[in-house]
Amino acid sequence: MKTSRKNARLLTASFTVMSVMFLIPIAVLVMTAVRTDADFLSNGVFSIPRSFNLHNFVEAWSIANFSTTYTNSAMLTLVKVPLGLIISALAAYPLAKMKFRFDSAIFLFFVAGLAIPIHVALLPLFVFERKLNLLGSLWALLLPYIAFGIPFQVFVLRGFMKLIPGELMEAARIDGASEFRIFWKIMLPLIAPALATLAIIDAVATWNEFLMALVLLPSAETHTLPLGLLNFFNQFSGSYTLLSAGLVIGVFPLLVVYVMLQRYLVSGLTGGAVKG
Amino acid sequence: MITNTRIDPNDPGAAAAHPPVATKKKWRRLLRRFTPYFFLAPALLIYGGFVIYPMLDSLMISFTNWDGMAEERAFVGLANYSRIFDDPVAILALKNNLIWTVVMLAVPTALGLLLALGLNRSFKGKNLFRSFFYAPAILPLVGVAGIWAWMFDPNVGLINTTLNLIGLGSFAHQWLGDPNTALYAVMVAGIWQGLGFPMVLYLAGLQGIPADQYEAARIDGAKPLKQFWHITMPWLRETHIIVITLGVIASFKVFDLIYSMTYGGPGQATQVLASWMYFQTFQFFHAGYGSALTWLIALILMVVTIPYIRITSRRSGG
Repeated sequence: MKTSRKNARLLTASFTVMSVMFLIPIAVLVMTAVRTDADFLSNGVFSIPRSFNLHNFVEAWSIANFSTTYTNSAMLTLVKVPLGLIISALAAYPLAKMKFRFDSAIFLFFVAGLAIPIHVALLPLFVFERKLNLLGSLWALLLPYIAFGIPFQVFVLRGFMKLIPGELMEAARIDGASEFRIFWKIMLPLIAPALATLAIIDAVATWNEFLMALVLLPSAETHTLPLGLLNFFNQFSGSYTLLSAGLVIGVFPLLVVYVMLQRYLVSGLTGGAVKG
Repeated sequence: MITNTRIDPNDPGAAAAHPPVATKKKWRRLLRRFTPYFFLAPALLIYGGFVIYPMLDSLMISFTNWDGMAEERAFVGLANYSRIFDDPVAILALKNNLIWTVVMLAVPTALGLLLALGLNRSFKGKNLFRSFFYAPAILPLVGVAGIWAWMFDPNVGLINTTLNLIGLGSFAHQWLGDPNTALYAVMVAGIWQGLGFPMVLYLAGLQGIPADQYEAARIDGAKPLKQFWHITMPWLRETHIIVITLGVIASFKVFDLIYSMTYGGPGQATQVLASWMYFQTFQFFHAGYGSALTWLIALILMVVTIPYIRITSRRSGG
């Protein structure tokens, strides 16, 4: 929309004020993380730190076991996101492009999953995985995470695949390409933008997931980042500087990734919501 | 996959075998009939095994008095469900969920819409501002909870320090420790984190409104407020539906913030259905009752989600 120069300046000014207020918690966090406990306690939250040191970060890193939780969350996300997407894309392909018995029934069966919250699966999964001795290994989360991603991903990917014209695939079929080859070499590259969007949504959700990890990962060696962060601030709520350093370590890498991928992230996340 | 290699025309092995033409055709037809199921099999197995089966299992458990461990369990019919209405904490949890829903539908939605209206104009730095307000939405909720628990700290936290600084020290408070304020204090964290999502949804919605609509209104002499009510709001109808539905769903699932900021306390003052379900099932070993609570959440969500899916799938041609 067109805006007069005076109004534009007014908007910039008021949004600057609002942003500063909005981001005060983050600023305070960083300020507290780089000072000493004595400095913090004698001069208060708002005072400018007397010294700049990274000691809190070093200490928080080892106490909160960040090397373990970061590795676990990264491994889980790196395996879950591509694997889950391929499985969903495989399922979406015949639902979008083939006619067969039960096709709409199967689609409805998947879509029904959009209404099922993970809460209902927690206890049965816990019991089942206790029996299989899977509890407390990252495998315990992998398949349930993939499973709960399937309804939304199948729903979105089928929609995108329907928009791809059939001629290309028909031509390949006449040339004798197998269905799998057509899927892999023609369909997947054509829906790459949708896959990228879903991958971003999925990576954020997987990285941040808490409830299922809380139930299925009882042992500290396999804790993901949110669990490690919670343990840390339950145990060390006494030292505010240390606590802040831990929180900075816990959330800052995400903020950096966010700043770098900001454009794709925002459009990707909204795109997902509007589509599904 | 023996069938696959046998009929593959590019496979030299198949050529060497020289099956009679009729059987070859039959095989190919059979293969074509099963092709969709090869593609569907992995998803069907995983989804069936880790979503549908646990869901049905939990429904069964909700009709028993099982503790989650023992071999034996007895069928108790709907007793666990009627127990919900005799359990004051469950009623409180349901009430807290409703309060949470109302506040989350009112505050972040209105603020998100206002921010979007501003950020839809062209001025310096609007992309930067947009990313500022969205940033908390990608953080783990446990991290958000940690940040705000510390802002609300009664002795050195930002909120009380500020109140003291501006001479309102008498309002300084044990925000998370007082049953009357704890839920609202947690909500502040929820609003801070949840503001960005409706904002970007509304931005997307606003960008879909054709400019000539406003053009025409201006020629007719309509004031900005009138334009907002008669053009902007009707054009945002679909976005409102999305924002409200997703808001209700998120409000009934809320768990992470409560669990990590108050652990349901003080007392049981901030219990919500999801946290009470968690405590009943995994701390008190009332697996049957916990499953009934879980199904209450699921039923509420289904009532909200199913019409929404129908609307969106009709729109995308599904």
